[in-house]
Amino acid sequence: MKTNRWLLLSAIFLVSILAITPLLAACGPKAQPSQVLKIGMMTPSTGPVPEKGLPGQHGIQDAIEYINTELGGAGGYPIEVLWRDSAYDMAKVGTIVQNYMNEGAILFTTHSSSEMKAAQGKANDAGFPGLATFISTMNLHPPQHIYGPTPDYGDDWVAFARYYKENVWKGTGKPKMAMHLLSGTVGQGTLDGAQAMADEIGIELVDVQNHLINTTDETASLTVIKSKNPDVLFISSVPAPTAVIIKNAKDLGMYPGITIGAASASFTKALVDLAGADVVEGVYGVFHTVSWDDDVPGVAKAKEYVMKNHPEDYGNMDYFSTWSTTLIIREILELAVKNVGYDVLAKGDAAAWKAVEEQGIQKLKGYTVEGLQGGTVTYTPGDNRLNKFLRIYQIQDGKIVALGDWQEAPLIKYAAYGDQ
Amino acid sequence: MDLPAGTRNYSYAQDMAIFRTKTHWILLGVLILLLFAMPAYWHDWLSVVNRIGITIIAVMGLNILTGYCGQLSIGHAGFIAVGAYTSAILVQRFGVPFPVALICAGLFAGVVGMLFGVPSLRVKGFYLAISTIAAQFIIIWVIQHWTSVTGGFSGMDVKAASIGPMVFRSQASQYYLILIITIISVYFAKNLSRTRVGRAFIAVRDNDLAAEVMGISLFRYKLTAFFIGCFFAGVAGSLLAHTSLSISADYFPLTDSILFIGMIIIGGMGTILGPILGVIFIRLIDVLVTELSPALQNAFPNLPSGFTSGIAPLLFGLAIILFIIFEPRGLAHRWQLFKASYRLWPFSY
Repeated sequence: MKTNRWLLLSAIFLVSILAITPLLAACGPKAQPSQVLKIGMMTPSTGPVPEKGLPGQHGIQDAIEYINTELGGAGGYPIEVLWRDSAYDMAKVGTIVQNYMNEGAILFTTHSSSEMKAAQGKANDAGFPGLATFISTMNLHPPQHIYGPTPDYGDDWVAFARYYKENVWKGTGKPKMAMHLLSGTVGQGTLDGAQAMADEIGIELVDVQNHLINTTDETASLTVIKSKNPDVLFISSVPAPTAVIIKNAKDLGMYPGITIGAASASFTKALVDLAGADVVEGVYGVFHTVSWDDDVPGVAKAKEYVMKNHPEDYGNMDYFSTWSTTLIIREILELAVKNVGYDVLAKGDAAAWKAVEEQGIQKLKGYTVEGLQGGTVTYTPGDNRLNKFLRIYQIQDGKIVALGDWQEAPLIKYAAYGDQ
Repeated sequence: MDLPAGTRNYSYAQDMAIFRTKTHWILLGVLILLLFAMPAYWHDWLSVVNRIGITIIAVMGLNILTGYCGQLSIGHAGFIAVGAYTSAILVQRFGVPFPVALICAGLFAGVVGMLFGVPSLRVKGFYLAISTIAAQFIIIWVIQHWTSVTGGFSGMDVKAASIGPMVFRSQASQYYLILIITIISVYFAKNLSRTRVGRAFIAVRDNDLAAEVMGISLFRYKLTAFFIGCFFAGVAGSLLAHTSLSISADYFPLTDSILFIGMIIIGGMGTILGPILGVIFIRLIDVLVTELSPALQNAFPNLPSGFTSGIAPLLFGLAIILFIIFEPRGLAHRWQLFKASYRLWPFSY
């Protein structure tokens, strides 16, 4: 009898879940107050890359708090974020984006290029504008309704290769570079840039290896790379696999010895924490925002909020990236409100998306993002990268230290993606 | 066929009928009416419902393979990937009409499934599970590295499904497409389970040696089960590709293959209703956690950041453990018990 009762209770519980779930979501959005600008923002806060997603999520939350409390929202209207955890599940990303469209969001962001790749089919088809904080070549080429608040992974490679050739390389002829790339949009974007620009810059690509996001050992692939005797190894990945690769390179006696560079998606405090400061000492990296030590107004404000709400994220570049992206979104919405008025945007329909894109994103000009990014945020027709500046950093004594000035990333035409 | 008290079958046709009484037909009519009217009253939920529909088709195939024939497969997401890419390539590169591509996707996934099903003739249980995991890894590796055909790591952009001039671009139109194919799949699976082939599957599952002694060809029926199970997966993959409008290997992780097994355990293996209930249950838990995470994180600011990250896998794992311990025959069995008691009500004893 007890078992039967338990089973009955379980059945009631299960049926309740089935019944309540739709009601919760059906009731939720309608209960929200009006007179807000709704945007959708997703981060991979769970799944295989929480070391990127969680600080990214916190950066969004804190930036929105700052915007709504200190800057008066955008155009006088508070921004309401429909935040969702994508769990880095690409099928789920499609559902989330569709829900954003249904719930009246006027633009959306993803944290990663993979999420954007999964979202962009539907978004481009519907004309729903989106921005990815970390973005790959295939998200932006050919330009449609997806934008990058920063340069893409192909640009990361070009910026690093140029810096290496001009400042680090002491030999003669072409330096030999090996690449270790995360399977997916992150690695492919970097490879696209390398294949397009290696000859022009004067770099010889001697080997390309791929790794998975959950890799725990890359000794075998690094042994292959070692046999090719490269001068420099460029890693384009996320923090955890990058830490594995650098640790393995150290164990194999490859590093120090060769130079190691990392693309933006992995170059953050999490890399230092996961690998250990002594292991990653001297590793170079490319990034699209200033560092936490820069003396610009935006850093001071981000520091204030990170220490207040998420002190564990202090020094994290993912936090900075989403903070900066959220400020750019505020600027977009401010322009859109100014140019078309709140009523058009409030509808959250195709007309509102078009207004945000044409009267917000495409009107961006000279926005400095409180000094957080190099140059300014400006839309150039035919180029959906809204900012085109990158800077080289190096890990010194466990800290991410800027080297030199910002480099401008020229637009590369990728014929493989249909660029004209 | 469970019939209400006092109802008897007097002909073979009555005995074989899926819908036997007037009440059955009325309930079926109401259900179909509700399903077809859903876009009118649950529009905001269509993306979730569409995903549930596609998953039901895939898991129905796995249920035929694992639930009916007893061949455990942990590579089902890989077979869905085969269908998705087959359909996408046929439509994008060769201009094949979507309905043809849909069927080809099923056929090709079925053939690939048969290839990976060959080890089932020698191994079973745990060992077969390991060999089907290989299918998952091999298929995904090929997709990622055969760049000229699949787009490699970049994936592929895919056109919306279309039949003649009708393009299934809106959610509602995609819903009707998925709904109709889901209904056909469920009807096919229901009938298959009652045919000679279906009974042979059950015999192989229950005791393959005894089945062979009775004259059932293990070679033929095990491979048939792999073909049919993977055909369903291929069809689901095709629908996924043409409704997502973009695919990459990331859409087909190993965790999905494991989750599909969890769905048929929770729903009830070897039943037609089981996969449907299992898929709805797991997908809604997933949605529930996604929707509630922001609110939970705001409600409990003192808990560590991202504490909600463990909720979904915890609930999945807990549900599977509880069902295996307390209700190994799944939700479908609970439903049967409920119907049985309802049929006898108020004279249940």
